[in-house]
Amino acid sequence: MEAANQPGADSKTEAAIELLNLEVKYGEHLAVNRLSLTVPKGAIFGFLGPNGAGKTTTIKTMLGLRKPDGGNVRVLGYDAVTQSLEVRARVGYMSEINSLYDFLTIPQHCAFCRSVSTQWDQKIVDRYVSLFGLSTNRKVGTFSKGMKSQLALSLLMGSNPELLILDEPTAGLDPVARHEVLNHLVAEIAAQGKTIFFSSHILSEVEAVADWVGIIREGRLLVCDELDHLKQTQKVLKLTYVELPPTSEVTALRGLGGVMSLEQEGRSVRLLTHGDVGSLSQTIQARPYALRDVDIVNLDLEDLFLAYMKEESNGREGVH
Amino acid sequence: MVVKEFIEARWKAIIGGVVAVLCAASLAGTYNLIKNLLAGQLTGNAAQQIPSQLQGTIQQLTGSYDGYVWSQWFSKNGPEILAILAAVLGASLIANEVNKGTIFFLLSKPVSRGRVLLTKYLVSTFILLGVMVLSGIALLVAAAIVGHPQNVGGVLISTVLLWLGILFVLGLALLFSVLFHDVLRPLIFSLLLTLLLSIPGFIPNATLNDWSLTFYWSDFAAYQGTMFPLKALLICLIAALVPVVLAIVLFRKQAY
Repeated sequence: MEAANQPGADSKTEAAIELLNLEVKYGEHLAVNRLSLTVPKGAIFGFLGPNGAGKTTTIKTMLGLRKPDGGNVRVLGYDAVTQSLEVRARVGYMSEINSLYDFLTIPQHCAFCRSVSTQWDQKIVDRYVSLFGLSTNRKVGTFSKGMKSQLALSLLMGSNPELLILDEPTAGLDPVARHEVLNHLVAEIAAQGKTIFFSSHILSEVEAVADWVGIIREGRLLVCDELDHLKQTQKVLKLTYVELPPTSEVTALRGLGGVMSLEQEGRSVRLLTHGDVGSLSQTIQARPYALRDVDIVNLDLEDLFLAYMKEESNGREGVH
Repeated sequence: MVVKEFIEARWKAIIGGVVAVLCAASLAGTYNLIKNLLAGQLTGNAAQQIPSQLQGTIQQLTGSYDGYVWSQWFSKNGPEILAILAAVLGASLIANEVNKGTIFFLLSKPVSRGRVLLTKYLVSTFILLGVMVLSGIALLVAAAIVGHPQNVGGVLISTVLLWLGILFVLGLALLFSVLFHDVLRPLIFSLLLTLLLSIPGFIPNATLNDWSLTFYWSDFAAYQGTMFPLKALLICLIAALVPVVLAIVLFRKQAY
């Protein structure tokens, strides 16, 4: 199954990240499979997928930590393989695991980052550190997970990056710490017009923050679109038949344009639709099988995510 | 970055330094004690029970202060202590970053991998040099106190020679540190390989000795100041560079 929408193909927006047919292998295992997506500048892009979907591998490839086995990766207009230093000079990266040095204090971390950054604004870091209320004279090893994430975010801002790549930035945080990190992501960083690309499998936080989403599974992009557009165009059509519809009718429904997936439970049929759900509803109601009820249901991100996961599973089962 | 490396290695450097300085000073300062102790063994009734070959070795060992200090520090204890310190320092340089996950923080910064590796390596070389210089000073001071002032130039050149030789161990540990993602394997493999390469030096055969790095990094003539060990310096320098160059090549290709 190809992604439902790949804006990179025809988008005229200047891109912060462009992946074209990206392939990354771990031995024989294809971790990222012909992945193409475009992240526009200024977007807050939520990169979703279950564990082991290839999110971190994709991010590592963007930063030049892994070389792709195929395809192209451009970040802020620079080739991530041949110009990775240029990329890293403009990108702030926060990894999914605690990657700060436990034996250093905050000022020592700042000194380290300053020595390896092309530009450094200590005032910005000091402001964030004070905003989060972090103690500057303690070693980072004594910090909680939440404090470490807040410090990592503060340090990111010191190099004034154009693009922030955050790999599971709130993993392991309690709800309060998660809220603080996300709140600052939106209120402060996104307001400055910076692009944020963050991976997560916590759907509620992506929905609260992101304006674009991409869903990946087993290395393949299932969908990539603006979140609002996705919600507008993807709805569930709930059909309740007067009598149990015959198999031929269910097969016919599955084949209708705009139907992405179908689930049947007795007389109830649930269609995940894409596009003009109104006209699809009219088409179905004009068919010879009487309907007791027709309901159009809006989807939240969790529904969408689960629907894509289910559709992908069904698709693969169908293939096998 | 340099400061961070020094902070990270500080306890290893302090512990290694204290052990090395104490060992060098005690070896230089206890010559008379050891000599009298062994001489007593050779003159008493117990001497009959000591094989003649061992008696010869004891006499050779305690025959001259210079020979004793050189053999015990620059040829035996010094290389052993410093090789262990070099392996401990080198083994953690990359493997520890990978093991703790900080490699992503480090490599996401706009610095080349070559610079990252060389900075780490150079900091360790300076730590080793510092430990060796301090040990050399401790040796000179202790020798002067017990009334056997040593040739400063000889101690200096022997220290430099041993430092270059030990850099081979550091380079090996660094190379294994790039290859493995835990600290233990680089530590063990670098020490084992060094030991393996030292074996030809233990065998009393001139041809075999030529193939041992330990033979070059501990040169008695250089210690006495009777010969400048140019060949030994060049061989130790080349041997030190080979694993580092290999480590840089591998580190540039390594995926994390």
